[in-house]
Amino acid sequence: MIKIEHISKWINLGNIRNFILKDINLNIGEGEFISVMGPSGSGKSTLLNIIGMLDSPSEGNYEFMDTDIYKLKEKQRSNLYKTHIGFVFQAYHLIDELTVYENIETPLIYQNIKSSERKAIVADIIDRFQMVGKKDLFPTQLSGGQQQLVGIARALVAKPKLILADEPTGNLNSKQGEEIMELFTTLNKQDGVTIIQVTHSEKNASYGKRIIHLLDGRIEKTETK
Amino acid sequence: MLKNYFKIAFRNLWRHRVFSFINILGLTVGMTACFLIFLYVHFELSYDSFHSKANRIYRVVCDIKTPTEVIKAGGPSWAVGPHITQDFPQVEAAVRTTDDELLVRKGNVKFQELNSLWADSAFFGMFDFKLLKGNPKTVLQEPLSIVFSESAAKKYFGNADPVGQTVLLTGEGFTAKITGVMKDIPENSTVKADMLVSMSTLTRKLNPGLDDQWGNYGNSTYVLLKPGTRPGDLQAQLPAFLERRNGTEMKKINMYPTLFLEPLKDVYLRSTRNGNSTGNINNVYIFSWVAVFILLIACFNFVNLTTARSAERAKEVGIRKVVGAVKGQLTGQFIGESVLLCAISFILTLVSTALLLPSFNHLAGKTISTGIFENLNFVLILFLAAIGIGLLAGVYPALVLSSFKPVTVLKGRFSTGTKGQLLRKALVIAQFTISIALIIATIIVYNQMNYMRRQDLGFNKDQMMVINTNGDPAKDAFRNAVAGLPNIKGVAMASSVPGGGNPAAYSEIENVKGVLQIANLDLYFVDFDYIPQFKIKMIAGRAFSPDFQTDTTQSMILNEAAVKMFGYTSPAQAVGHRFKQWGREGRIIGVMKDFHFRSLQLPIKPLSMRIEPNGCNLVAIKLSTQNLPKTIAAIENKWNALIPARPFSYYFLDEFFDKQYRTEERFGKLFLNFSVLAIIISCLGLLGLASYSTMQRTREIGIRKVLGASVPNIVNLLSREFLKLVAIAILIASPVAWFAMHGWLQDFAYRIEIGWWIFLIAGLIAVLIALATVSFQAIKAAIANPVKSLRVE
Repeated sequence: MIKIEHISKWINLGNIRNFILKDINLNIGEGEFISVMGPSGSGKSTLLNIIGMLDSPSEGNYEFMDTDIYKLKEKQRSNLYKTHIGFVFQAYHLIDELTVYENIETPLIYQNIKSSERKAIVADIIDRFQMVGKKDLFPTQLSGGQQQLVGIARALVAKPKLILADEPTGNLNSKQGEEIMELFTTLNKQDGVTIIQVTHSEKNASYGKRIIHLLDGRIEKTETK
Repeated sequence: MLKNYFKIAFRNLWRHRVFSFINILGLTVGMTACFLIFLYVHFELSYDSFHSKANRIYRVVCDIKTPTEVIKAGGPSWAVGPHITQDFPQVEAAVRTTDDELLVRKGNVKFQELNSLWADSAFFGMFDFKLLKGNPKTVLQEPLSIVFSESAAKKYFGNADPVGQTVLLTGEGFTAKITGVMKDIPENSTVKADMLVSMSTLTRKLNPGLDDQWGNYGNSTYVLLKPGTRPGDLQAQLPAFLERRNGTEMKKINMYPTLFLEPLKDVYLRSTRNGNSTGNINNVYIFSWVAVFILLIACFNFVNLTTARSAERAKEVGIRKVVGAVKGQLTGQFIGESVLLCAISFILTLVSTALLLPSFNHLAGKTISTGIFENLNFVLILFLAAIGIGLLAGVYPALVLSSFKPVTVLKGRFSTGTKGQLLRKALVIAQFTISIALIIATIIVYNQMNYMRRQDLGFNKDQMMVINTNGDPAKDAFRNAVAGLPNIKGVAMASSVPGGGNPAAYSEIENVKGVLQIANLDLYFVDFDYIPQFKIKMIAGRAFSPDFQTDTTQSMILNEAAVKMFGYTSPAQAVGHRFKQWGREGRIIGVMKDFHFRSLQLPIKPLSMRIEPNGCNLVAIKLSTQNLPKTIAAIENKWNALIPARPFSYYFLDEFFDKQYRTEERFGKLFLNFSVLAIIISCLGLLGLASYSTMQRTREIGIRKVLGASVPNIVNLLSREFLKLVAIAILIASPVAWFAMHGWLQDFAYRIEIGWWIFLIAGLIAVLIALATVSFQAIKAAIANPVKSLRVE
């Protein structure tokens, strides 16, 4: 599903080239659950952003579902990730001005899905996440765990094949974190959604079937369970 | 998608109430000012355009060349109208009109009709004034026919049908028949009348032979050209026409008229010749610019506040992009928000315009508009303009906002506000430049007004009451009766008082070479008391005196300007020389010091004065300040006893003279109002920016305070950056305003110098206002507890 070859990213500070990522090669198949670990500044988030097409590398190739995405036009690329990728953030990143319901609905709006269909899809996922009673609340009225649930629901609503989660439990207490991880596992097993998560916590990383350790922009080691 | 946008737009507006309020208030104030100015400009431009044949109607005006000067007359001689239709088939019709103040009486109801107009019978065929009763072709045909306006008719006849009834034209001693009633003439007409009297009354009864008088002026002549006629072609044939018809007489009196055709639509705004009501195309331009500027200021506010706040929206932009929005969709969303804001302002503008319209009409001195819905097209234009403003003002912020990269914004440490800072500064400078320029202009306008009011006019106009007897036979008896009343310091009679009109006479004055020089000389008929009572100074020779018998018929006094015109180097040189004027001849007995008998906008013209009791219809009464109401009542008593046929009315000379400045005064007031508005809007923007920038710098302020900065340090820090902008604005505005106002002042023959202190004051005002606006926010930030602000991160 994802094929990354010789990806590097650097920034130039004066004449010195500072590598954020250096020669990363990675193959990820459909249905995998991968955890990316490493200390601060090791390039985890950058890698995730590159996979999510929010950021681009300084050099290297990236094939997503057998298409070389750097040969695509901006619009096609945007179409690709909009239908296949869902994002979950550490800081939830919900739109404060929209209700829970409207936040979840937003991705569907940008995929030009008809209003009646949207209603059905959103209602379905709200039901599944047991948030019916909260659907008219605004994000600030929810606890962190609940906000992250909304964030995940939003990531899932368009039925993506891949979920990218950047420290999804970083702002949550351990109990809430566990619930989120359980949810990811269920999604991965039952729905076959591919999940790539960046995390600091060994415990959360262990939910993944493969753990990639990054250090100073390189893959240090890969553990497979 | 739209619903989603709307929702978020409304919630955003509500959440940031202060900013929304500033934005909406600014836009509403700006749009209201613009809308009012638009109505004003439209009204000024609409003069005389309601006639369906307006494009074919021309006013015939006339330059008369004498050996001394070129007189710019508002109309040709009386003979031109009737003869031009005879000689030129392309002239469909000609109408002569002349203003008058006729005394009209019906039983006990009597009025001096100040807006009487003598008019030729083609009047209703040429102009589109609507006749409610009567046949437009014939109403003004027969001598002694009258057409009343609807409201004038009501004064005499109530609700009864006036047609066929008669009134007495008291002054003329004739009974006239009402042949028609017309709708009141609209305000935007240069031809104004409450009462029309058939011209044939003059030409056939009162002044037979008028139709053939080529040397007699004093009417307005309008011609209607046949479709397809080029006015230039006709105008080119007019010199030959005058030569053919009147060549010998022109040579005899040595006065050569040249005729020009002025399009009717240009008469009000563009003609420099006198007429009933004149506007000024420059004022129309000036106000149009002011409107544009005010609108710009309001739009700049919007752009500034929106881009300054862009950081707050950045997160939303990032999220939307991550979940699949493309740039175009986001641009659309933000532009939509600005359009929504403008739509709200549009509704508020309608409300505020409706509320302000009566006072604006009052300020403008005429009914610009009776209501905002008077013309639905205007509302539509305003709506489209509001949407247009929304689009224009929204584009830049929308592009800035929608171009944020999600990766950078979502990381959270997004440094804000640096983008577009330069633009924001430039816009603030532009706003203040406009405001300061308007302040400077206002100060100059007011100074000029004051200067004109305070200027020594060369005569005394205080406590001077003027009554027009309109030539009533009992005028001398009245004068004598008033002179005998207590608290009267003096009574004089004259044809004219300063600030009013006066006749101009075909005159021959002996010049320095000893030749009788022909000139069209302004003329005051006066009595012996006039010069002392008005405190007009004599600088050579003597004033009129009853001791000299010849003074009543053979003496003339000139002013300095006249003496100069005839080539004398000193006033004394002119005394004793000959004059011929309107059938009288004699000697110049004295020279008076120039006094301003016209507005200070105009230079002092040459003037002659003669004793001529028949021509003196005005009674000028110098009152003592004691017991004014009682004195006026006593004068009225005498009037009612001696001249019962006429209504008693009077005016005070000082107010009357100042009336000449009414247009300038209105101009000044309108200007003041609009510059205040401009400043308010600019300050609103500054307030928004200042509060935003202090918010942005909360952390910095906290750190500085922890490091030991005092409250004044902080206030200084925050205010300085804005004051710098205002200072730059002052530097830009001063020369621009100087240039514009220097041009404006050229319209005044007597004008102030533009002193440097004006710029200083305007600058100080701007700095103070800006400082007050900014420091409010700065002080608030400076006294806040640093611990709180540092904990935010």
